[in-house]
Amino acid sequence: MQTVEEESVPEIEVADAKPVKRLRKDDDLLGAERRLAYMLVAPTFILMLAIMIYPFGQVFYASMTDRVFASAQETSFVGLDNYRELLSLTVKTLGDEVDENGNPVIDEETGEVVKERPIDVLPREPRYREAFTFGFFGTDVVIGATDRDFIRSVWDTSLFTVAAVILETLLGLGIALLLNGAFVGRGAMRALMLVPWAVPTAVSSRMWEYMFSSTRSGLFNVLGQNFFGTDGQTAWLANPSLQLPAAIAIDVWKTTPFMALLMLAGLQLIPDELYEAARVDGANRWRQLTSVTLPLLKPTIAVALVFRTLDSLRVFDLFQIVFGQNRFTMASKTYYDLIDNQLMGYSSASSVVIFLLLTVFAIIYIRTLGVSTDE
Amino acid sequence: MSDTATAAPPKAKAEIRAKPPMTPRKLLRKTGFYAMVVVVAVYLVFPFYWAVNSSLKSEGQLAMTPATFIPRSPTDGSISFFTRNYEDVFADTQFQRAIINSIIVAVTVTLLALAIGSFAAFALGKLRFPGKTVALYTILSMTMFPQIAILTGLYAIIRSVGLTPRPSMILTYLIFSLPFTVWVLTSFFRTLPGDLLQAAQVDGATSFQAFRLILLPLTAPALVTTGLLAFIGAWNEYLFALTFTTINPDDRTIPVAIALFTGQQTMQDPFGQIMAAAVLVTIPLLVLVLIFQRRIIGGLAGAVKG
Repeated sequence: MQTVEEESVPEIEVADAKPVKRLRKDDDLLGAERRLAYMLVAPTFILMLAIMIYPFGQVFYASMTDRVFASAQETSFVGLDNYRELLSLTVKTLGDEVDENGNPVIDEETGEVVKERPIDVLPREPRYREAFTFGFFGTDVVIGATDRDFIRSVWDTSLFTVAAVILETLLGLGIALLLNGAFVGRGAMRALMLVPWAVPTAVSSRMWEYMFSSTRSGLFNVLGQNFFGTDGQTAWLANPSLQLPAAIAIDVWKTTPFMALLMLAGLQLIPDELYEAARVDGANRWRQLTSVTLPLLKPTIAVALVFRTLDSLRVFDLFQIVFGQNRFTMASKTYYDLIDNQLMGYSSASSVVIFLLLTVFAIIYIRTLGVSTDE
Repeated sequence: MSDTATAAPPKAKAEIRAKPPMTPRKLLRKTGFYAMVVVVAVYLVFPFYWAVNSSLKSEGQLAMTPATFIPRSPTDGSISFFTRNYEDVFADTQFQRAIINSIIVAVTVTLLALAIGSFAAFALGKLRFPGKTVALYTILSMTMFPQIAILTGLYAIIRSVGLTPRPSMILTYLIFSLPFTVWVLTSFFRTLPGDLLQAAQVDGATSFQAFRLILLPLTAPALVTTGLLAFIGAWNEYLFALTFTTINPDDRTIPVAIALFTGQQTMQDPFGQIMAAAVLVTIPLLVLVLIFQRRIIGGLAGAVKG
């Protein structure tokens, strides 16, 4: 230690022509500060290396093997096979079904031409299964995937994220604008906004699961029957086309208040004088919103948006609790591959895919946010 | 009148406005405003109210269709509260164990994150050293690291080492609570005046003394806020807890216990008991959050703004 300090003094002496005495003192202080800084930062980084970086290295390596827990089979290196199985897609069109003589088959009841079944047109080796089927300009298109659950989970997670984040941002902005002024009960409203945020996701998921019951013991079926004339038997959580909207409703309730709080904090930073000036210039409320509030709130909104997007893309608790294996997100698919099927290698590959997807968003986030070091 | 109003700060504005008799137009606007506030308030609280309502119903009352907004007797429709769900939950040994597990795990994680994190945050917020910017970027990217991405790796390591669930959870929760703590505390440390530190050094204090005797007491409120946020994060964690406790139900934490709650008698999900358990674990959290609400809002905003 001692020798290092003494050696570093002459170097600076040459570069800087300050009085020697002063310099030695400054340099001692600076060196001590530097050493202290490294000592203070070290525990955090060493720990993170052990619990984050090292396991991630393991995941990366395992993703290129066929490792399975609790299995007699020996683990071998399989290169990118796992990724190929996860991500392979094929697009086919469904033609008309033909009989032995080459004539189109007609459904006897409806009189319509019978279409080929997806299983007939999709490749068998390796086996592709139907992930989505949809009409496209009059043609029936089928997208086949070697792991259709994963491909569907990617699609569902993306859809969930886009819808939930847009709704949360708009609602959050609305609530923030509503509550920004001074009014009686403002403090109470702010306190109430922390309620959904503080409720554990496991709890909120089960609360909503019960409200979405498929009989009239569930709140939404009671409301549906009383006000919208439904039969009160809607299977909100079992009907595939209602599952995502239900999940979005749960997520919106839980996180909109958080968005609103962030935006309120952003609104507080806008100086009152700007509104005065706008009013003097004859701007009405709408003009004030579009030309003062929104432009100045843009950084806050941008940060909140990307922050929420990252969170939604890795959503797990809500889907695992409410839907189990009936509807996957990328995270819950990975979880079931690992825990139920013990597929270490395969689930590691989907972990890496999720990581890469999220990294893209994280980079956007950091660029939006920037790091200020005060130097 | 309008001159004074424009010059005054927002709070004073409202007071001045309240004085003159309201025109019908103003009254209408005010009513509309409060109506919207009430709608928002109901939206925020209603699901929780519904859980409380359902937790006070017996199986019979829960099966009543349509569901009632207040627990009512199935026979004569009079209001009747059913408290057995709460008694059952309190008597449930798995639930008791889950509470103890959650407290041990969340408290340990919080204390560790604060202890280790405050050192790093002090260095990052107040000291000059090469590599600081890189370190800050690294911490920031760590706060965004998707936990699912290392789940399989951690699971493999824990299986091979034979670590039991509680220490596993404590160690792995630091993955998200430590970078978060460092990030939030760094911005707190940065707001403290630097002269204070130099003054202490001139007086002969070492940097570490300056940290312990001057900066740490000043940042106590920040430590409380950050600690609370870290605690809530650990208390609510589900993915790791679910994964690590698959083998041994005795080590489950509260979120896992509630997600997997099956009750003792019935085969069907006993929603009355689940709701009672949900209400029970949420109330302490709500009390805590409401007491510290100002600080939490500030802390959350700080965490996102950096």
